[in-house]
Amino acid sequence: METLSDEMIMQQVVEGNLDLLKVLFERHHRHVYNFLYKMSGDRMLSEDLTQDVFYKLIKYRSSYKSGAFVSWLFTIARNNLRTHYTRNHKNNLDIGVLDYKAVEAETNKTEEYSHLQRALNQLHPDDRELIILNRFQEIRYEELAQILGSTPGAVKTKVSRVLKKLRKIYMEPL
Amino acid sequence: MSADNKHISKLIPDYLDNNLEPSDRKKVEEHLSECGECQIELEETKKLFVAFDTTIEVPSDRLTSKFDEMLQAEKEASGKVVSFFPKKEKSQWAGNLLKVAASIALLVASFQMGGVFQQKKSNEDMLVLRNESLQMKQTAMLSLMENQSASKRIQGVSYIDEFENPDEAIIDALANRLLFDDNDNVRLTASEALAKFATSETVKNVFIEALGKEKNPSIQIAIIQILVGIQEKKAIAPMKKLLEQEDTHPFIKEEIKAVLPKII
Repeated sequence: METLSDEMIMQQVVEGNLDLLKVLFERHHRHVYNFLYKMSGDRMLSEDLTQDVFYKLIKYRSSYKSGAFVSWLFTIARNNLRTHYTRNHKNNLDIGVLDYKAVEAETNKTEEYSHLQRALNQLHPDDRELIILNRFQEIRYEELAQILGSTPGAVKTKVSRVLKKLRKIYMEPL
Repeated sequence: MSADNKHISKLIPDYLDNNLEPSDRKKVEEHLSECGECQIELEETKKLFVAFDTTIEVPSDRLTSKFDEMLQAEKEASGKVVSFFPKKEKSQWAGNLLKVAASIALLVASFQMGGVFQQKKSNEDMLVLRNESLQMKQTAMLSLMENQSASKRIQGVSYIDEFENPDEAIIDALANRLLFDDNDNVRLTASEALAKFATSETVKNVFIEALGKEKNPSIQIAIIQILVGIQEKKAIAPMKKLLEQEDTHPFIKEEIKAVLPKII
């Protein structure tokens, strides 16, 4: 089972082998959680949203069509996050409502961590999302392009540009 | 810096991620060895990437246990449906097989029935045809026996061969020929025809009556022989009467004398 690709497993899940969803959960739940956590800086929220992502995976498994599984999974995660912020900040539909201060207050980790998180929070949410997703080994440019509705070439150029921006922020003395 | 440098800068993330082709990789390494600015960029990017890798958060066990709960609930919810499906499909499969078997059985049965009915029908048809042809022959026979021409009447009498169990009308018609036909040959043929049915009481009486009436010696001989053949005792009286009659042909008398002891 370990050697099967996500797509092959998902195919079997769609055919009715629900137990295999556990394999997909084990493989991906940390990444989904970390994506949501780096985006929101909120552990409780990230756990809730991660749980909801996998709930939707279970419920809407049959809506999975062939294609990269991670793209599908992270599309659900992105939408969950957007829906959450839309619901909680009706006056401000932009994902950028993510509050720097909220992250700051929440943060109680190593210096390195808060430093990166602070730097990330200074990015535009779209850029932040792009770079967080890009850092997952399992998400290559093709999958990233699928998630963002773009082309691998355009995504690659954008990643390079945003990385440069983030690096500058990160390297600035506090 | 030069355009070259800018190009390398773009390759640094993939260089760190080990995503470069060997040729590009070599190009980056060559450039890095002589460009301090790019070395700094590489180091900074590396630091950033390490920061990403070292800030991997581990969610609480609550997430895993919640997932297990959700999956279990879903399995139970859909399990009912799933457990039904194979059974249903199985029974459908068996049902279909039964349907197919039933259809085949029905087909074979109807074919057989059709064959049986066909045979019965054709048998009935044959019977009707045979009856019809017998009826026609009987009619033809009876009408031929009434014909003016003696040869036609003989032909009619000869038709008796077609009937295994002639009815009374035919026997009566033959008896009439034997008793009352003017033509010797017709009477002779009639006697031959009736000889087959000599065991019948009616026919016996006809012969006995004919023996008393018959004047033609050859027909008399034929009748005598038939009556002797069936050992008819009632024939003794008319035979003795023939012996006493003066007009009886001498060799008829001899014949009667010869056969009389055989009857007794």
